Amino acid sequence: MNSTLKPSSTHPGSVLIQRLTSTPEFLPFTLVVVLTVVFAALTPHFLSRGNLSNLLAFTPELGMIALGMTVLMTSGEFDLSVGSVFGFTPVLMWTLFNEGVASLEVALMIALVVAVGIGFVNGWFVTRLKIPSFLVTLGMMMTIRGVALYTTSGFPQRTWRAESWLMDIVAGSFYIGEFRLYASIFWFIGFALLLGYVMTQSRVGNWIQAAGGNAVSARARGVRVAQTKTWLFMLTAFMAAYAGITSSIRVAAANPNSGTGYELEVIAMVVIGGTALAGGRGTILGTVLGVLMLRMMRNGIVLIGVPGLAYNIFIGVTILTMMALQSYLARRHPSGSG
Amino acid sequence: MADDLVRMAGIYKSYGPVMALDGVDFSVRENEIVGLLGDNGAGKSTLIKILSGTVSATRGDIFMRGKKVEIRNTTDAIALGIETIHQDSALVVQLSIARNLFLGREPLIGPAFLNRMDKRTMNEVAGKLLKEIGIKKDIPATTPVSSLSGGERQAVSIARALHFDSDLIVLDEPTNNLGVEETQGVMRFMRGARDSGHSLIFIAHNIHHVFQVVDRIVVLRRGKVVANDVDPKQTTIEAVEEIITGMPVG
Ligand SMILES: Nc1ncnc2c1ncn2[C@@H]1O[C@H](COP(=O)(O)OP(=O)(O)OP(=O)(O)O)[C@@H](O)[C@H]1O
Ligand SMILES: [Mg+2]
Repeated sequence: MNSTLKPSSTHPGSVLIQRLTSTPEFLPFTLVVVLTVVFAALTPHFLSRGNLSNLLAFTPELGMIALGMTVLMTSGEFDLSVGSVFGFTPVLMWTLFNEGVASLEVALMIALVVAVGIGFVNGWFVTRLKIPSFLVTLGMMMTIRGVALYTTSGFPQRTWRAESWLMDIVAGSFYIGEFRLYASIFWFIGFALLLGYVMTQSRVGNWIQAAGGNAVSARARGVRVAQTKTWLFMLTAFMAAYAGITSSIRVAAANPNSGTGYELEVIAMVVIGGTALAGGRGTILGTVLGVLMLRMMRNGIVLIGVPGLAYNIFIGVTILTMMALQSYLARRHPSGSG
Repeated sequence: MADDLVRMAGIYKSYGPVMALDGVDFSVRENEIVGLLGDNGAGKSTLIKILSGTVSATRGDIFMRGKKVEIRNTTDAIALGIETIHQDSALVVQLSIARNLFLGREPLIGPAFLNRMDKRTMNEVAGKLLKEIGIKKDIPATTPVSSLSGGERQAVSIARALHFDSDLIVLDEPTNNLGVEETQGVMRFMRGARDSGHSLIFIAHNIHHVFQVVDRIVVLRRGKVVANDVDPKQTTIEAVEEIITGMPVG
């Protein structure tokens, strides 16, 4: 039998239960189910068409950042500048467009390239200058937010003058019957499938986990740890930028303040999902569940009438509890990566 | 010289004021197991770290099959066919046994752009290797290394070196922390590796283990080679202990 199992688990049923509870996705999955039942019981609005559609519109935006962050955190780093990149990139794109510097398509490309460049700088500081990612990305977070605020004097950029196929593809919406669905949900699903594949099936995925688990021995096996991490910083910045652009199209404005505080919420989603804060272990499926769970919480407690000012207390306490549970489970049953 | 697989010539290494290696000449022939002995701090690990690319020499040259080579990093060493099992175990404990075995050299399946690991082959080969090295328990290859014992981890490292058919396998104290049976497994593996054409460097403090398996003994003392061609069949353990410590064993 698997040597990770406790000797007491001789009964086949209890073996199965231990297997299940030892997967990192177990906790967020359970909570998504519990929350759905509880909120649905407390308020009929929760499962209403309008609310579900709303939930599915918000979720991909933070969700896409969380996907990138999952892979980065698995490699043992994290990025606090994602919220700033989320705010800055659409500002850059719409400014270029509104000033007539570039067509919308070109402006989008430029903005994404700039974002990837920001990720590269993060990666370079962390891997070449060997400065902890906490310090590097904190500095980057302030710098990028500052640039966004300064160049716009704090005012949002309008987006309503644009008419482009691009907007439909990135963040258009359409109706299935009376149900309004946003294109961003498909992007989110697509990115999740792609990154899930990379993490579990690909060779690069093995390197990412090794880099986060034990960088010294990974390097001794010939894994290019610094390069791998730099690519992941670029990926994370790209995801944050793409999410920011999506959001700006949906709300028809690029606000230089948007995305403030997202970095911590995203990291919370990732950790609740079962990715190790210290690196070496990560799960895309867990992150998807973690994203759903936190978004449902935010949405649900407003619906059941928790006062707006109190709801950060709820979220904060939930995050702390979940993280404690997750780390307890991880220590009890180390789970392998087939 | 024609027979030398590897020759290290005039190797110096200083750590600040500490002279870890002081003009060492050391070679390994094709098809032999060399025992590298010496007291704590004699310079054994430093010498083989230079060979495996984790430490660079202050001065000196390395030749492989008579040709001068540069070993700047671990990738260079691996490419030259030098596989090292370091004293401080070198596994990623979060990863499964199979993923560790193939780390950096994962076999791919399907079109190249998919970058898809051939997990089936990895798990099969890993399972077979574990049996060969004599791990009795039926441990699946998908088990994370974090739930293996120290000896089992060591066995995984050794299995890796053997599997990749490296010309030179360097083992820095591989039998530390191993039980009797696991130690015998390692020895059997070393002999098997030599008989199938590999060369090995074996570092250990247990001279009995060394005597059981090596063809030739080299002794380092304070950064210098003090004996280069000791045949374990022609000498005694006591005599070698004297060379190591530099004084008669009472
Ligand atoms: N990174 C380092 N920095 C400074 N000094 C070092 C370093 N590594 C080794 N040394 C010194 O170099 C000398 C040789 O060390 P080395 O590790 O090669 O010895 P060893 O023969 O492998 O000993 P042991 O049997 O204890 O493993 C020692 O004096 C040691 O203190
Ligand atoms: Mg040593």
